[in-house]
Amino acid sequence: MSNMNLYSRGDKFFVRINMVLVGLFTLATLYPFIYIAAVSFSSGMAARSGVVVLTPVEATLAAYQNILVQPEFWISYGNTFIYTIGGTIMSLLIVIPGAYALSRPQLLGRKYWNLIVAFTMWFNAGMIPFWLNMRDLGLLDSYWGIIIGFAVNAFNIILLRNFFESIPSSFEEAARMDGANEFQILWKVFIPLSKPAIATITLFCVVARWNGFFWAMILLQDEDKVPLQVFLRKTIAELSDDHEFSASLITSSFSAETVNAAIIVCSIIPVLLFYPFIQKYFNKGILLGGVKE
Amino acid sequence: MAGVTLDKIVKCYGDIEVVHGIDLNVAEKEFVVLVGPSGCGKSTTLRMVAGLEEITDGTLTIDDRLVNNVSPKDRDVAMVFQNYALYPHLNVAENIAFGLRIRKVPKDEVTKQVAEVAEILGLTEYLERKPADLSGGQRQRVAMGRAIVRHPKVFLFDEPLSNLDAKLRTQMRAEIKRLHKRLGVTSIYVTHDQVEAMTLADRIVVMADGRIEQIGTPMDLFNHPKNIFVASFIGSPPMNQIEAEVETRGDKLFANFGDNSLELPALNELSGSDHGRKVTLGIRPEHIMTQADADTSSIGVELDLIETLGSEALLHTTVMDKPFVVKAETHGDIKHLENLNAFHFKPGMIKVFDRETGNVFDYPERLK
Repeated sequence: MSNMNLYSRGDKFFVRINMVLVGLFTLATLYPFIYIAAVSFSSGMAARSGVVVLTPVEATLAAYQNILVQPEFWISYGNTFIYTIGGTIMSLLIVIPGAYALSRPQLLGRKYWNLIVAFTMWFNAGMIPFWLNMRDLGLLDSYWGIIIGFAVNAFNIILLRNFFESIPSSFEEAARMDGANEFQILWKVFIPLSKPAIATITLFCVVARWNGFFWAMILLQDEDKVPLQVFLRKTIAELSDDHEFSASLITSSFSAETVNAAIIVCSIIPVLLFYPFIQKYFNKGILLGGVKE
Repeated sequence: MAGVTLDKIVKCYGDIEVVHGIDLNVAEKEFVVLVGPSGCGKSTTLRMVAGLEEITDGTLTIDDRLVNNVSPKDRDVAMVFQNYALYPHLNVAENIAFGLRIRKVPKDEVTKQVAEVAEILGLTEYLERKPADLSGGQRQRVAMGRAIVRHPKVFLFDEPLSNLDAKLRTQMRAEIKRLHKRLGVTSIYVTHDQVEAMTLADRIVVMADGRIEQIGTPMDLFNHPKNIFVASFIGSPPMNQIEAEVETRGDKLFANFGDNSLELPALNELSGSDHGRKVTLGIRPEHIMTQADADTSSIGVELDLIETLGSEALLHTTVMDKPFVVKAETHGDIKHLENLNAFHFKPGMIKVFDRETGNVFDYPERLK
């Protein structure tokens, strides 16, 4: 094969610079995770003395043994799953039909509905009114408070609405001629064609609910209902304040640092496991072959 | 099977009226082609029949049932779209079966009907493929399969061949014709391609600016265009036009333009009192002769260009500063055409149009 020189020296230099920058960025985002994982498997002494850089030092599972025996850890872990799965499903149930309706030209007052939805992105009532609202709705200290309270996301609705609008109208018309009603058009045509966009908002929802800490802390008092992130915060606070625990650390193989790191690793794993399953939907060209423009 | 009747159909978008009261009666099993330039309202008319556009005024009946306010799914019509509109996430079999599944047809019946349709359209070996893995012609066949599997009362085709290359278009045209013969379903077909219209239609409806200019069989439209628009739209290459003035010599009519004078056919609607009347002559490229005959009159020309088509050639020149094309037989060689310096016209082959109204003189009574 001939070695064709399609790129100028400037192009090649540009590509190399890009690769270096991407490499640096990847390292910058990946390193904290590697570091936390390494700390979680290191001994308490090693973690505190700051010798852990890339791999565990004096490798031990002591930190994990410490947290995995705590029932609160498992309860909060389970709660996080409830909030993540429930919240994501609830969000999709509202966002998908909402976005579909807003994307339809025949929706009466469509322009104004869109404006109202977009308005909530720029302005909202703020923390105290929201809390009062949740209180008055009886949604404090309740699973439903987290699941319903954050289900509507204007950004996701607009994102999906724009995707729906980009689907050629002939698909809808063909389905209509084939006898489909609005629900069937949405379910059998638009949703399958919008998998990449729906996967994106699903990921947004999952990550937001999985990492949701602030509102969970504000709205939930019952320790049996708090998610992992709130439990993590509580553990960090307790370990730093617990002098007895600190004293015991001199002889222990774990420390506050390794326990925190172990909880963080535990909280990251499900998201890491979930991502590859939806990654396949992040592909372009799903509309390929359907219409010829 | 059913007929379709459009009675004074009007379509407005806001204050703008785009279809101005169309009357059309499509008989059962008939293949009617709506043809016209872009923006003439043909697709809008078809979409009103489909139920994809609301009818502003007038009545639409399918199989003697008023369907103005009936949703597309309940009109029992099927449509083939210009851009195929195949569901890309479904394979060929699922695409064809979509309408049946929506209508809750039993699974065995769906499988049977899909197999039958695939057989008719030669798609059997592609049933498992996704639209992206098919060629343009195969995709268009799937789109037709999706329409015919439902056994609708009426087929609607919205420029179904315009995305195909020339060769494939010719093939698919023949397939559509064969399919119509076999199934005998009332069909309305929209195209801007007059060749498609001529080859497919039982009757052609020529539209311009939201109005019907003429309805007739392909040969009626070719031989008896009602006005200059139809004359110039139907036929390829289009009819030549020459602006001229009428001169009466005894009981004969002549058309004068520049230094030329052509004898016109005897016309009931033009008489001695029309001396000096401004008319447009319409002469089809294939009706002009390269050799003089007993009753021909002639004009002198200088050829600009000869386009060889094989058995025929197109001879290009200008008459009164307007392009003028003649279709001549080559008999295997074009040498005898290269030195031509005159074209010859038989009076009976010249159409005469009123330049003011654009209408032809002596439009046959049976076509009115």
